[in-house]
Amino acid sequence: MISRIARKEFLELTRDGRYRILAGVVLVLSLLSLAVGWNNYSSLSKQHETAQAATRTQWLAQDKKNPHSAAHYGMYAFKPKSQLAMVDTGIDPYVGVAVWMEAHKQNDFKFRPAQDRTAVQRFGEMTGAEVLQVLLPLFVVLMTFSAFTAEREQGTLRQLMSLGVSPRMLALGKAAGVALALAIVLVPATVLGVVAFMWTTESGLLAGDAGRVAWMIAVYLVYFATLIAIGLAVSAATRSSRVSLLVLLAFWFANSLLATRAAADLAGALHPTPSAVQFQRALEEDLSDQQAVAQRLEVRRAALFKEHNVDHVDALPIAFSGISLQEGEEHANEVFDEHFGRLFNLYEQQNRVLQAAGMAAPMLAVRSLSMGLAGTDFNQHRDFVAAAENYRRDIQRVLNADIAANQKKGQVYLADRSLWEQVPEFEYTAPPTQWVLGNYITSLIVLIAWFAASAFVLFRSTARLQVD
Amino acid sequence: MFSRILRHEWRLLSGDATLWLVTAVCAAAIGYGVWNGARWVRFQQQAIADASAEQAKRYDALQTQITALRQPGASVSPFADPRNPSSLGGRLGPKYATLPPAPLAALAIGQSDLLPYYFKVSTDARENIVSTTEIENPNRLLAGRFDLAFVIIFFLPLLILALTYNMVSAEQEQGTLALVLSQPVGTGTLVRGKVAVRATVLVGVLVVLAGAALLITGVNLTAAGAVPRLLMWIVAVTAYAAFWFGLAVCVSSLGQSSTANATILATTWLALVVVAPSLFNLIATSFYPVPSRVEMVQAVREASDEANKEGSKLLARYYEDHPELATGDAAQAMTDFNVVRVAVNDDVENRVRPVVQRYERQIAAQQQTLDRLRFFSPAILMQSALNDVAGSGVDRHRHFISQLDAFHAQWRAHFVPLIFAKARVTSLDTLPSFTFVEESTAVLWGRVGTGVMALLLPSLALAWFGFRRLRRYPVAG
Repeated sequence: MISRIARKEFLELTRDGRYRILAGVVLVLSLLSLAVGWNNYSSLSKQHETAQAATRTQWLAQDKKNPHSAAHYGMYAFKPKSQLAMVDTGIDPYVGVAVWMEAHKQNDFKFRPAQDRTAVQRFGEMTGAEVLQVLLPLFVVLMTFSAFTAEREQGTLRQLMSLGVSPRMLALGKAAGVALALAIVLVPATVLGVVAFMWTTESGLLAGDAGRVAWMIAVYLVYFATLIAIGLAVSAATRSSRVSLLVLLAFWFANSLLATRAAADLAGALHPTPSAVQFQRALEEDLSDQQAVAQRLEVRRAALFKEHNVDHVDALPIAFSGISLQEGEEHANEVFDEHFGRLFNLYEQQNRVLQAAGMAAPMLAVRSLSMGLAGTDFNQHRDFVAAAENYRRDIQRVLNADIAANQKKGQVYLADRSLWEQVPEFEYTAPPTQWVLGNYITSLIVLIAWFAASAFVLFRSTARLQVD
Repeated sequence: MFSRILRHEWRLLSGDATLWLVTAVCAAAIGYGVWNGARWVRFQQQAIADASAEQAKRYDALQTQITALRQPGASVSPFADPRNPSSLGGRLGPKYATLPPAPLAALAIGQSDLLPYYFKVSTDARENIVSTTEIENPNRLLAGRFDLAFVIIFFLPLLILALTYNMVSAEQEQGTLALVLSQPVGTGTLVRGKVAVRATVLVGVLVVLAGAALLITGVNLTAAGAVPRLLMWIVAVTAYAAFWFGLAVCVSSLGQSSTANATILATTWLALVVVAPSLFNLIATSFYPVPSRVEMVQAVREASDEANKEGSKLLARYYEDHPELATGDAAQAMTDFNVVRVAVNDDVENRVRPVVQRYERQIAAQQQTLDRLRFFSPAILMQSALNDVAGSGVDRHRHFISQLDAFHAQWRAHFVPLIFAKARVTSLDTLPSFTFVEESTAVLWGRVGTGVMALLLPSLALAWFGFRRLRRYPVAG
């Protein structure tokens, strides 16, 4: 019986000219967004890889110089593109692409791509995620709003019920029919997306990111199932197609367009972000705390004196200037950890508000999960920032240790390529899928809860279906 | 007859719960949007005040230090010496160039959360100065803000469509249309009356509520330029509303059912407000892609490596270009670190300029493409008009950046001769300062006016078409 109802629903939808036009438009837009996403990913990741290799070459090609000069020369880290960014660019346009890793300072990531765009960018980018999160839900609304109301208005509902079809069967059948009609659009887009994804993977296989792809597909499937259930439930519960359409359009608008902004504002109001002036001033105040540095240096000096059994700096077998430079770094590192840690924790608090707001609008849960799985969320940005900063600290340690070991009093010490080579190449591996999912437990629960609740409401409202 | 229709429609409309619901939703959205905008304006003002306080404190300390160094026997490392023009113009004495929020900035947050509104200007390379940003959670930047502009661009059309989609079809479906038209009145007059009442009520409610919200949130409407901007805002919003009313009349005239009207209008709204902007952006960024800035970073790096290698050779060339700066002891100056650095910086900037210009050209080409395509999306037209009125768009920011560049040049022109002359700075009072000069109201009217015209013309065309077709409206189903 279910399959027959599904067949009827599917045929009715797909024979409608409006469905065909809309399905065609959505399919074209999905493919277009995928193609552009793929193209952007390929060109950007190439640019970033080339630049990363070049910064290494420049580092190695340095002339003979004092290691501390090399530390000031520094290196750049360029944020690698995650592959699934071709589907969901997430926050990528709004975070910097490059950081200068120099002595004494944890620099900000600079050059947000969005600043190189026009104001129209703020309407949202036409990415796969935008199509999936904004356009497809509306498509679902248009496919479901009259599922029950039209039958009631035409009088076929009374006939149908007189046949003894159980309301649950009817609901499932209609849901399956709509899902099939949706699949006509989704399946080709997904298949092409996965092929494009495999194409850009070097090994040609899905390799490590297969999990992310599978999870992403699952998240969107659950989301569409939820939307279908909501659409059918509203259609079953309302008196007329007109009311059903208005209610569903209002829901779509609130869920897809309004919720993100409202939740982001709420997050900002609950946990206000400081201004750059404030942040910088607080940071510089702590950095320039000479007393803290002096104390640190004093402790270290005493320990070294004890270790080597001497009583003045010149008697040490190592150059104290290297030690002193490193102690300065250690002090600064603590300050950076505190200040950037506080700022980033604040962002994460704000993002948790966004996740929790998913309870009011399921799109927020999907949005967080999608970005996370695509590797374009804040957590993974932070992970890269931390990796770059750790690498910067490693560079300082290697160089300062070299000064301590080789600098002779009263002589100019110059290091050469052999030292530059001692600094290992910067390598970064994106965190595993489980780590990502761990960050979005709230969103996962919220999404599943929405699915369960909407299925429940659908069965309830069909059980109480009024035939006329 | 027309006035009777007006009175009747008003009675119907005010008796209907929809109007009051719409007004309540409108009031809530407008109130929240303006409050949010005003909060952001206060944040910016606070940041600017903090910046100038920081600068004042720093300058006091520098002045005290300069005074102390007048004492015989006082000494300081040349890097920390505020009298050293190289240190003062570079690390110690940078001054802020700030872009204060325009008088009605609370109306639209626009690009102001993304584009930095204060820069610390020193003798440093331009690219280092302009690449600083305000800090913000990238997730919030991505989401955008719930401001009045959002309410108007996205929400107002939906309200208009909700009030108008069934204005004729409902009468036909209820069978009252035949009744009304049996009176000496045409369909056109009837619809004109319906639209007039709805438009007056909606735009009136919007303007009054927005005005009230501005006053309540403490926006100073007597500030210079506030009144013309408010007028522009009213004109722009009215033109935008006119477009959607025109569309509703046009769709109503097709003689479809209420549900069909709603579907058509919702889809059109989606196409014009949601899809078209993203699609146009996609077109502009695909035809004129801006390469990742990593390429620029690398170019700057290579340029400065080469410039540093050439060092003193560059200085000789610099003296050839600027003979007025050559002092008697040029030979000694060759070895002077600061002097070499001026020449090196200058050379790096010259080398990097073509690269930077390539980015700017691509961005300009994107803007140009969208400036043409925007005529196909009322939402984009409205966005740029609202950003212009609020002073939070790219044009005012570009105006600011050009003043910033001039100030940067002035700052350097002040310090470079001092560096070459190895002069000592004794007073901080003669240092140049930055004051933002606002765009002229005429320029603003020009930009907003273009947008308004581009909205009004299609509205008139749609209304004309609609009213023509309405003459042939099927009275009974």
